Amino acid sequence: MKRIILLFMLVGLAATPAIAVDDAGGEVQADTPNLLENSYLDDYEDTREEFYTIEEINDPLEPVNRVLFQFNDRLYFWVLKPVKTGYSYVLPAELRESLGNFFNNLSAPIRLINNLLQGRFRDAGVVLSRFVINSTAGVYGLADVALQEYNLEPRLADFGQTLGFYGIGEGLYIVWPLLGPSNIRHSVGLVGDRLVSPVSYMDMTSDQSVLYYGVNRINNLSLNPGVYEEIKKFSLDPYVAARQSFFDFRRNVVKRAGNQETDF
Amino acid sequence: MVCLRTITAVLAVFFLFQVPAVSAEVESPTAQLKPTLQQLVDILADPSLEGKDNKKKRRDLIMSTISKRFDFREMSKRVLGPTWRDISEQERQTFTTQMTKLLENNYIGQLENYSGETVEYVGERVKDDRAQVSTLIENKGNKYPVHYIMNMDSDKWMVYDINIEGVSLIRNYRAEFKSILRRQSFDGLIQTLREKNASFEQGG
Repeated sequence: MKRIILLFMLVGLAATPAIAVDDAGGEVQADTPNLLENSYLDDYEDTREEFYTIEEINDPLEPVNRVLFQFNDRLYFWVLKPVKTGYSYVLPAELRESLGNFFNNLSAPIRLINNLLQGRFRDAGVVLSRFVINSTAGVYGLADVALQEYNLEPRLADFGQTLGFYGIGEGLYIVWPLLGPSNIRHSVGLVGDRLVSPVSYMDMTSDQSVLYYGVNRINNLSLNPGVYEEIKKFSLDPYVAARQSFFDFRRNVVKRAGNQETDF
Repeated sequence: MVCLRTITAVLAVFFLFQVPAVSAEVESPTAQLKPTLQQLVDILADPSLEGKDNKKKRRDLIMSTISKRFDFREMSKRVLGPTWRDISEQERQTFTTQMTKLLENNYIGQLENYSGETVEYVGERVKDDRAQVSTLIENKGNKYPVHYIMNMDSDKWMVYDINIEGVSLIRNYRAEFKSILRRQSFDGLIQTLREKNASFEQGG
């Protein structure tokens, strides 16, 4: 969800490598999704019924969800944001980035297992290499040496994505207090990911766990600022905007898993 | 004399056929989008436009650049979906004016967060008079796919949707408006839009 938000960092240029243009008229390019197939982007004159009926998101809990959304909103503006601001003020950006790398490195087992479950063995290999390189040369994962020196890019995968990859439905929309937007499949995914995360098996008191996840969260927020604020600022109904963004973002994550080359 | 006239006629015919043949050679969507994005980057990087005093001037410049490549009426139409059919031309114009303001504020707000990200053009699809230009924005080692959806308006490719990591600008607003229109009238929606836009003027 947080990653969505570079929402519209649309600009920038500079690097303009050769464009793979396909003049045959719309085929080819397996690596870019074909969005032109989406009915809401069709010609307006199109009389197809789908154009006029936007897909409904299954949200029977809407009244409860709205209350929880409001709770998370307050939590964000009254607690998380002030804490984040102080945190960013005290810790320099380089240090926060290193910490981000550290947390990220610790969750490598999640990505490894899910890449394997999706049959993406090559990606799983990359995850493993990244973990080994960053844990050693990167000093406990504080530096992303694998990316900087070996150009090994992250290979994201999570259990919610794996479930979607095998055709499990999303289920209804849920807003969790503290965690935010989710759905049944995504929630099961979060639990599954927690089970394979080494952090869950560390001998921590509940205070230490709260501290660990709290710092992780605040650190993450400090590195990707303003996501929620942007959504709130530019929507007429932030609840609907966040819900739609969540579903579209997750559907895209699942679709990407389906498009990946599996090595079965 | 006759000979000269014949040559002139032949030349005239030649040019007559030549002219449309040349103008049919429309530039690709990517070739048309690139300079616009480049201009925006230049404006954002221009030191003479920095600071509070120049904010308005910079916004105006960004706006005039965007409006040459973004079709706000098309966006408004699609954001509203089926309701667009049911309203009068005057209501359509009112809606488009307000929607344009909201999209402007949204887009400019995002642009002002710009901090030197690079854009890679990774692909292009053309299907009849619609096109998709796919880019990859890179920021601190993270890559974000951003797709521009365009349609052809008399030889010009105009953007009518932006899709970032699966999240579509118009689909998102459309879901919101649909939910609002279930609870309010069209006039109520316009009023909500006006209030939203007024909040940007106060907050800057």
